[in-house]
Amino acid sequence: MWDTFITLMITVLLFIYDFVGQNFGWAIIIFTVLVRVVTYPLTAKQMKSSKAMQELQGSKKWIDIQKKYKNDKEALAQKQMEIYKEMGISPFGSCLPLLIQFPVIIGLYQAIIRALAVTPIQLVNLSKHISDGANLIPIHSQFWWMDLSEPERLVMFGVAVPVLAILVVITSYIQTKMVTPPTQGTADTGGQGAQMTKAMSLYMPFFMGYLALTFASGLALYFIATNLATIAQYVLTGQADFKNILPKLPARS
Amino acid sequence: MKKHFLILLLVLIALSLSACTGRRVAATGWSEITLKEDIAYFSYGPQVYALNVKNGAQQWVYPVEAETGVDFYAAPVFADNETQLIVASYDSNLYSINPATGRENWSFTGAENRYIASPLVTEKGIFAPSSDNKLYGVDLNGIPLWEPFETGEPIWASPAWSESCGCIYLASMDHILYAVSPETGSLLWKTEDLGGPIVSQPAVSESGLVIVSTFNNEVVALDEKSHNIKWRFNTPDWAWASPMIDGEQVYISDLSGTFYALELETGNLLWQLQPGGSIVSAPLVQDGQIYFSTDTSSLVVVSTDGVVQRNLPIEGKLYASPASNGDIILLAPYEAEFFLIALNQNGTQIWGYPPAE
Repeated sequence: MWDTFITLMITVLLFIYDFVGQNFGWAIIIFTVLVRVVTYPLTAKQMKSSKAMQELQGSKKWIDIQKKYKNDKEALAQKQMEIYKEMGISPFGSCLPLLIQFPVIIGLYQAIIRALAVTPIQLVNLSKHISDGANLIPIHSQFWWMDLSEPERLVMFGVAVPVLAILVVITSYIQTKMVTPPTQGTADTGGQGAQMTKAMSLYMPFFMGYLALTFASGLALYFIATNLATIAQYVLTGQADFKNILPKLPARS
Repeated sequence: MKKHFLILLLVLIALSLSACTGRRVAATGWSEITLKEDIAYFSYGPQVYALNVKNGAQQWVYPVEAETGVDFYAAPVFADNETQLIVASYDSNLYSINPATGRENWSFTGAENRYIASPLVTEKGIFAPSSDNKLYGVDLNGIPLWEPFETGEPIWASPAWSESCGCIYLASMDHILYAVSPETGSLLWKTEDLGGPIVSQPAVSESGLVIVSTFNNEVVALDEKSHNIKWRFNTPDWAWASPMIDGEQVYISDLSGTFYALELETGNLLWQLQPGGSIVSAPLVQDGQIYFSTDTSSLVVVSTDGVVQRNLPIEGKLYASPASNGDIILLAPYEAEFFLIALNQNGTQIWGYPPAE
């Protein structure tokens, strides 16, 4: 089942690779955008659920129960569930579509890495996924200054700079900030959720940057393409909040 | 709940991605073996090993401490009256090691990409093909003989030596077979596009045929003198393994797992069998028997007239050619407990390396 899925992804990826003149970098970018378009209904559902959740967390009712039950977590959880039910919101509404996209993300990365096939063992494995693709071999992994099968570094003035990893951190930060606008709840009123969201929006870009720094740069290119595609989706649907990108200074008392 | 979900998600991403490559930089391969009397030399990952064939005792390992980014998968090759062992590495360097001690003599660092195949060693020098599309010629001290010979794509196949033309046959992934002068590194002649990448060493017959396996689902035999194609043999899948000439027969195989015996001069099919699994390595021919391995964990023993003698199940995938000193057969399984095993003539395992703790 998983192998069939990967074979399908590799076939599409290599079709695009051939279509764009055997350029693997552009194939990754186009393929990523294509996958984002196909999975857009899931993204839209996630965006809708997130928005509903944010509105709820900004409501007076929500803030009131946070204050009222701040010392009784069990009662707080019960009350929150009651409000979710009353408002018709699923607390996992924004997580489930993300979970469904997870295999797609992993499948996409596996397809990219397997299709690159820069060593004999990888090529033997690739041959099991493509029945008639000998004319595409060897896959050209060079894209601008990068070898997409290796971690990327651009030597500038004698210093090896991980340009893609830096871009991954920046685009991941912007994307995360756009996807998760500030919750009105504070540590006191929004509870752990607000703290968690804040922490994730800081840690996630660095985690992605670490992956981009250490894995094949094909992955980093995919991260950048998918981040930019997500940002574009938010901008096109009018949900982008650019004010949220810059960190807010603490308000003067 | 959400906190746990996010942490789980991060861990899953990291695990899933690392599982795709097995390591951060995906550069793995299968080991290849060179046998000399009672010592087996083989490359495996970050080190090259010398083992006693009789009992698997380690003689030496090079480098003593494994280094990140240095990987060896091509078979070591002897040079300079067997006083040097030349090993090509994924770190783009060519190393000369003392076969008695395992100490480094010199290294050649001129290539710009990894070496997949073993170099060819002749009296004229050491000729190393690289993934940077070039063939490097160096002398026995690692000093370049000439400017590298460049092809259109990476070179994964070991070059072959032809005594009759005194030239090097070099097959490239650009679908072309080149005849190169060992003295000057210049092109003597080349074929037209053979239709598919070539990743294995060409076979050269005494009668003047050069035979190559291609990913165009065929094996092609060329006449050395006229440079014309003498015969072509179609296979159902990519022909990966090097052809093996045995008297008047030539053995070829493909990724569909079919093994063929052809008439050397005509390319006519004599017999074929399909034990299952893909075949990527040349067979071992010894005492009238053919040993070939498949990636579905079996070593198949066939008589030269095509009768299967034995089909030995082996743990792991077998991509490398079997090697033998006459008494003991060595196999280098991939994804197995042992990365080198020794079998006796009955197919019983004598030892495995590394030894079980």
